[in-house]
Parts: sequence; C-alpha cells; structure tokens
Amino acid sequence: MRASLRRTAAAAATALALLLTGCAGTDDGGGDSGRIELSFQSLAWQKESVDANKQLVKEWNEAHPDIHVTYIPGSWDTVHDQLLTAFEGDEAPDIIHDASDDLADFAYGGYLADLRTLLPDRLTSDIPRQSWSTTTFGDGVYGVPFLQEPRVLIANTRILAASGVRIPTPEHPWSWPEFRQVTRELTGKGRYGIAWPLKEPVSVTLNLGLSAGGKLFHRAADGKVTIRAGEGDRIVPDTIHDQVNTDHSAARTALGMGGSDTLPGFFGGKYAMVPLGFSYRQQVVEQAPEGFEWTVLPAPAGSAGLAQGVSPQTLSLSEASPHKKEAAQFIDFLLRPPNMVRLAKGDWMLPTGTAALADPSLHTAENGWATGVAVAKTLRPAPAQSVRGYPEWKDKVATPALQEYYSGAIGGDELRKRLVDDGNRVLARYQR
Amino acid sequence: MTLASATVRSGRDGPPGSPQDKRSRPVNRSAGTWFLVLPALIPILVLSVGPLLYGIALAFTDAQSGRTRSTQWVGGLNFQDLLHDTLFWDSFRIGLVWAFGVTVPQFVLALGLALLLNQNLRLRWLARALAIIPWAMPEVVVGLMWRLVYNPDAGILNETIRDLGLGDGRDWLTGLATALPAVIVVGVWSGMPQTTVALLAGLQNTPHELHEAAALDGAGAWRRFRTVTWPVLRPVALSITALNFIWNFNSFALVYVLTNGGPGGRTRLPMLFAYEEAFHYGQFGYAAAMGCVMVAVISVILAVYLAGRIRGGEDR
Amino acid sequence: MSMRTGRAARAGQYAALLGYLVFLAFPFLWLVSTAFKPARELGSLHPTWIPENPTLDNFRTAFDEQPLLQAAANSLIAALCAAFIAVLVATPMAYVMARRRSRLSTAATGWVVISQAFPLVLLIIPLFLILKNLHLINTLWGLIMVYVVWALPFALWMLVGYVRAVPAELEEAASVDGAGRLRTLVSVTAPLLAPGIVATALFAFITAWNELFFALVLLKTPEKQTLPVVLTHFIGAEGAADLGPLAAAAFLATLPSLVIFAIIQRRITGGMLAGAVKN
Repeated sequence: MRASLRRTAAAAATALALLLTGCAGTDDGGGDSGRIELSFQSLAWQKESVDANKQLVKEWNEAHPDIHVTYIPGSWDTVHDQLLTAFEGDEAPDIIHDASDDLADFAYGGYLADLRTLLPDRLTSDIPRQSWSTTTFGDGVYGVPFLQEPRVLIANTRILAASGVRIPTPEHPWSWPEFRQVTRELTGKGRYGIAWPLKEPVSVTLNLGLSAGGKLFHRAADGKVTIRAGEGDRIVPDTIHDQVNTDHSAARTALGMGGSDTLPGFFGGKYAMVPLGFSYRQQVVEQAPEGFEWTVLPAPAGSAGLAQGVSPQTLSLSEASPHKKEAAQFIDFLLRPPNMVRLAKGDWMLPTGTAALADPSLHTAENGWATGVAVAKTLRPAPAQSVRGYPEWKDKVATPALQEYYSGAIGGDELRKRLVDDGNRVLARYQR
Repeated sequence: MTLASATVRSGRDGPPGSPQDKRSRPVNRSAGTWFLVLPALIPILVLSVGPLLYGIALAFTDAQSGRTRSTQWVGGLNFQDLLHDTLFWDSFRIGLVWAFGVTVPQFVLALGLALLLNQNLRLRWLARALAIIPWAMPEVVVGLMWRLVYNPDAGILNETIRDLGLGDGRDWLTGLATALPAVIVVGVWSGMPQTTVALLAGLQNTPHELHEAAALDGAGAWRRFRTVTWPVLRPVALSITALNFIWNFNSFALVYVLTNGGPGGRTRLPMLFAYEEAFHYGQFGYAAAMGCVMVAVISVILAVYLAGRIRGGEDR
Repeated sequence: MSMRTGRAARAGQYAALLGYLVFLAFPFLWLVSTAFKPARELGSLHPTWIPENPTLDNFRTAFDEQPLLQAAANSLIAALCAAFIAVLVATPMAYVMARRRSRLSTAATGWVVISQAFPLVLLIIPLFLILKNLHLINTLWGLIMVYVVWALPFALWMLVGYVRAVPAELEEAASVDGAGRLRTLVSVTAPLLAPGIVATALFAFITAWNELFFALVLLKTPEKQTLPVVLTHFIGAEGAADLGPLAAAAFLATLPSLVIFAIIQRRITGGMLAGAVKN
C-alpha cells in the first residue's frame, strides 16, 4: 500500500510528492531480514580523506554482506552540538568519529561504550599506551585514538638558508631560547621571524608547554586536580609574549588568526616560519605559489625534550548501539595497518598504530613526512583534557587571560594569578 | 474608487485615540475567531510553548548532561549563583552594547535603503534583489567570508586601506579596541535585508495620492515623510525594531565564528555564554537560569519601548 | 529650477543606492571570485577580485564530494512548504490579533518575546524528544513543522503591523455594500496585505533555506540533509576550510533566494498592489 503510494508519488515528481517519499522513507532502514545496519559518522572534510573513508566503507560492505555500514558525513564545526543532542535523544550513530579532547563529557555522561572488552588484542597492542591514555576516562576506554598530529614549524627554506641559522633536526632541535634568538635573526624589514596563529591559544600553549616540563594541572593522591604554575609553565608563554612584545619577531596581527589565515603571509615572505599542525602541509602543498620552497622543522625542545601534547582523532561506539560487537569489528577493519596508513595519508596526519607508523611510504623526506614520524614517539596526551571543568576553565579563564597576555595588555604575574586562582575556583565547583 | 477615497479618509481624518474601538468591529466574537486562530495555535503549543515551559522549568533544577545523574529541584539556587557570576554580568553588558549597537544603525540604514528602493528608480527590481544578499548567503559562509575580509594580511579591507594610502591596516578582529566594533559592522550588515524588506513592504502600503497631494501643497521631502509616510510605517517600524533587538541580543553564531568571544572576552555575548554553559559544560540548569534572566531583561526593555512608542503615536 | 534640483536629487539617490549595494554585496562578490579561483590563488598575499586563472574545478569537487543536488532539493521542499504553511496559518491569526484586543493578543505577544529571547540551545533537546514521540525525527515533515513554528513569531508580529495599516473603514464599507465577511477578507483585505504577506513568506523561505542548527540535529541520513548542513562538511577543525569548493557550493546555494526575490519583486512592483490602490 505504502510502497505503491511511494512509487506513484515518485513518478509524479512534484514537490509535494517528493515530500511524501521523504516521509514514507523513514520506515526503510532495517529492511532486509537479518542484515545488521550500522551507521558510521565520519568528520573527514578534505577530498583525499573523504575519498579514503568512503572507499574503505565500500570495501567493508562488499566483504560483509550481512553487516551493512552507512557512511554519514559530519562536520568538525558542529559535531559536539549534534552529538550531544543525538545522545540526549537516543538517536546517535553507532560508530562515532571525533577527537579525544571532545570525548570527556560524553564518556563521563555514559553515552559512549567502554571498549576494553570489545576490541581485539591486535588493535589494543598495536597502539601505544600513551595514546590509549588520551581516551581513558576514569576506568574505561571510550575511543580508539587513530590519527594524531604534532605541531611543527613550517619554514620558508630560502629565508632560512639566507640567514645562516642552524637548521634543527629531530635529533638536535632548537631549544626555546635558541628558537627565540633565531626568530630575531629571521626578522627583517617587512618580515617577521614567526607568526603564531593563536585563535585557540590555550591548547597550543599547554601542548607545547609539555616540552619545557610545564604541567599546570596537578592531580593529588585523592584524585582532586589543582592548578599550580611552576617554572616550566612559564617558558612557552613567556617566549611567545617576548617575541611579540619585546623582540617584535612575531607578528602581533597573527595572534587572532586560525592556522590557514597565516598562509598567505607565509607564502608572501612576510613570515619566515609558522607553527602549524602537521596536517596543514596539505594546504601548503595545494596553495603555495610555483617555486615556493618550504620545509618541516620540529618544534623547539625544552627540559622534557620534544615532548608535546596531542588530542588524537578517535573512533568511539555509542553505548546505546544494539550491535556493539559488529561495530567494533568494523573499527578493527578500518584500523588495520594498511588501512590506517590510507586514512593517515588522506588526512596528512600520523597514524598512532606502531605497525602503520613503520610503513615505508611514511618515511619519505618528501613534504616533511619523515620529520613528523621522527617526533611521533615524543607525543603525549594533551594536558588536562580529562579534567572535569577544563572546558569551562579554558573558555572563561585561560583563553581571555592568554589573549591579553600575548597582546601585552597584562603582565606575567597577572596572567598566572588568573590562570591559577580563578582557575582553581572553577575546578572546585566540579570537584565538590 | 471607494478604496482610494477610504484610504485617504482614514489617513487624514482617523481620530487619534479611537482606532482601536473601530478596528475591533469587523471581527465577531464567535467561534469563527477560533477557526482562524487554531491552525497556528496548535503547532505553537506543541512545538514551542511545550519546549519553552520545559526550558524554563530547567532553571529551577540542577539538570546536567549525561544519562548517569538524576535531576533534582533546587529552587532559586541557580539564580543566586548567577547573581554572583561577574563574568556573566560583564558579558551581559557587552550584549547590551552589541544589541543596541546593531539594532539602531540597522534600522536607520535600512530605512534609508527602503525609501530609496521605494523610489521610481531604473532597475529597482534588481537593486531590491541585490539588497537581500547578506540574508540570502548561507550563514555558514558569512562568518568565513568576513574573516577573509578582516584578515590582516590578505584581507580586502586592509588591502584597500593600503591601496588608498591610508596606512598599514589593522588587526580588526583581534585588537582589544576594534573587535567589538568590527563584529557590530558585520551584525548590521547581516540584519539589514530583513529590516529593509519589512519596511519596504510597509512603504508600499502608503497611498500614493497622499504623497502627490502633499507634494502639490509644496511640502518638502522631510515634511512629506513625517506627515504622510511615517504614520503608516510606524507600526511596522515598531515591530521590526523590537524583533531585531531581540534577535540581536539572542544571536551569537556569527560572533562565535568571527572571534570565538575573544580577544580577552571583549565579544563574549551573553547568549554565547549560555550556549557554552549548556552545550560545552553540560550545565543545563544554570544555562536555563541565564536564559530566564535574559528573557526578563529583554521583556522589560521592550515593554518600556513599545509602551512609550505606542503612547507617543496616539498623542500626535 | 525645480527640474534641476530634481535631477541632482536623482543623481544623489543613485549614488546613495550604489553605496548601499556595494556595502551589501561585496562579500558576495568575494565569494563568487573565490569560487572560481584555483587553490594557488587562495593563498596569495595580494588577492585579486578577478581570478587570474579562472577554473571550474571547485564546482567539480563540490559536486563530486557532496550530494549538492539532493540537498538543494531537500532545502527547496522544506523552505517552500515552511513558507507556504507559515503564511497560511499566520495570516488569519494575525488578522484576529490586529482587529481584536483580547487576551489572545497579549498572550501571543508574550509568547513571541519569550520564544525569541530564550536560548535556542535549551529548547532543542525537549523539541527533539517531542518530535521523536511524533515519529518526525529524520523526516522533512518534522523539519518543516519546526520551521513553521520558528517563522511564526516574525510572521505574526509583522502581519499584525500590516493588517493594522489596512484601515478598518475599508472592510466596513465593503460589508455595508453587502459583501460577506469572508469575501470582504479575500477581496478587500488580502490584496492590500499582499506586499506584507509576500515579505513574510519570503522571510519564512529564506530563514528555512539557510537554517542549520535544527536541520543538523533533526536529520540523520545523508539523503535527507539540507544544503546548510552539507556546506559544513567542507569545514574542518580549527576553522580551516576547503575554501574553494565551499565557496562554489555556497555561491550556488545563494542564488535561489536571490532569483526568487527578484522575480517576486518584479511582479509586485508592476502588479497587484499599485492596481488595488489606484482603482
């Protein structure tokens, strides 16, 4: 009855008829008997990455006629709002692509499945422990970290060579003071040594801060977290602050930019270096003018070496999904070493799996891949992402405080007072 | 014939103060009224009033996101906390500056544009269509496009300033002093079409004969506007400015894309505050309390505005 | 003498109009320019208005990557239905509100203010649950109902204003002539309201056409998604975007509203309203 209605309607092809099919279509879905339907929401947005994801889903569906996966595109821009609503309304996709720094509330809220018993040993042992700790909340593991990107310095090769500064390598990186000195030397008429795109100043500051031994968040034996600013916590913010306000070797106007916004200035020779996520190489390759030479350098090192924090991309399962076992099989398929390499290349990021990371095609000097792979083992979980109240501290306290500090409106003492005192007040509310 | 003369009559002779009684006559107090009202009322009750009551009730609970906690009634606790939340009141002040800063220029500029578009200019249909561009562009890209415009390096704004030899340009969205004005310009820009279209439709209601008669009397443009156009336009102008004010106070998506509330919280609108409270920190109850406070303040402002303006109109 | 001032005033009017249009349209022109630029030109420090090497690649990528046509069809259905239904249900109610001072008008005004001023983000979850109980999640009908309700405050408020601008004496004169109430409404009141109704319908259409948040959370399957949702798929983390294809898709998404408005405006200008008043 309904089917015939639908057929007539489709034939009529009027706006109203389209509407009817749209409505009647809801009853589809679990149509074929016995076939399990899974939905996979992916956030891939660049052409190569979308193609890789779609292709892998296609391969899975061809190999598994009884477990059908539907590819649903989502967006980094809106994923949090959309997932929160879907979870509250019990309509979330089965397999969820996100990033570890977005998972805490969903994991603590009971919306994500604990993966410990669901994943095969192969996958569990392939991914290093520090990567797993990015998705461990409380006792459970709520996501598979599979792609990550260090922040690297993308540099204009000609300016660098002309200045005669020492070129850093992952074995002999610049120290923070040396880095400050270098940016001073690279600064010239109409040119800055570096442009810090700090639209989101908190994560950059904290992640790079790890290299200098910065921690800021300290967990006591009773599990309570407090904020304390030590010597190591000052090095990165002070370096950036001094580059902007004392040396004028960093462009003040770049402070509010997102990573992509700095590229025209970088290509135009206005900035000698830009500290960007590893995946920005894709945009550099695509947009750089003919003959533009660039290179990938490791970020500066401190007392803790090249360590820096990352929030890997993750795959999670909805707690409400009726087919967790099959969904976990799909994740396992997606993250087999050769597939993980394809996803990594599509996104221009590094795979977390040790087998995938060893893939020879990632060890090429071309487009700086080798530099990224060399620093991969120094990557640590981004500080504080599992601390309850961190998002509020970030938005209300740390972001405005750092923005004012970097632009020179407040001094270092005021910065630390706000980060620590105001910050602890925020955290206290979550730890009552 | 009857139409025109009746229009003219009402425009000139309609005694001030009495139109309400006269206007109530055509509709009988009968079941017919309900017949006219119900089609709108049912969806409103189900899809708007229902969620609203739920949302307001949340303000008196400790509701948080997550399926693991149960929700308790907490009475006025959220409001007490809110009273001491200086960050919220800071952002409230910014919100008021933003709402007035956008609504007033929006109205003035839109009125000018609507008057122009109501003139018998050549290609005005095309001009009218072009005037709604900010409205027709998908919001998703509006913020991105304006970020490109304001980009300190490659943005066309600074590029133009440099070409004109007016200096080296500025960092519009990150300067502590320029950020709020910069987003206000975008706010004015993006809301102008709605206002213009509403006012234009109002202008098209103005009887031409009145204009012509007034012009023959030798009345200048300004007097014609005041005595002929404005009285007809007034109800529409009141409605649209009131709505604009609410919308502007309530909007944050554009600013969120442009500045993220920065620099240093200078563009942190109260609705952005409530959004983050609810969706990023999962504090539904507290966010609902913020919503209630905002509704209350807006209602008071509007009540004063509308009451004052309507009375002002009847005195004339 | 008066002729000359007239001409000078005219020139001034054209100049002012041009100023307005430049201000309102230049981001759109930039969007168009971006849509036709190859990736290399997007990274230029001194971008040009006219692409140096114009290309259609962005459009090709946009269509390859995302189901733009399907999404446009969904958007069109949702926006047309929402506009039509909104005007259909709002006009009678606005009429009643304008012509009668009653508790209903007061309540409706209160609702308009509260519904527009309360944070949307807090309403989305209860709304989601209500629609789920009505089995309207992931359907265009559900989305259309939401759009109708969200257009109603504006529709009601504006239409009340337009109805008030129609003198009640006109209706009285018609009913004295012996016309029934419904005929009075249709033949006397409605034509005078036409510009207001069109403006309201246009508002409802464009609001629905551009709406992102509801569409994002209420529609799940890719075949049902609307244009604004699909556009977000070109945006990555930290505000990075696949700018070329995004601009191409956004350019195409802007056109329907502009074309529809241009057509309607042409009609109105030459059409029914002027006739009605001059008869």
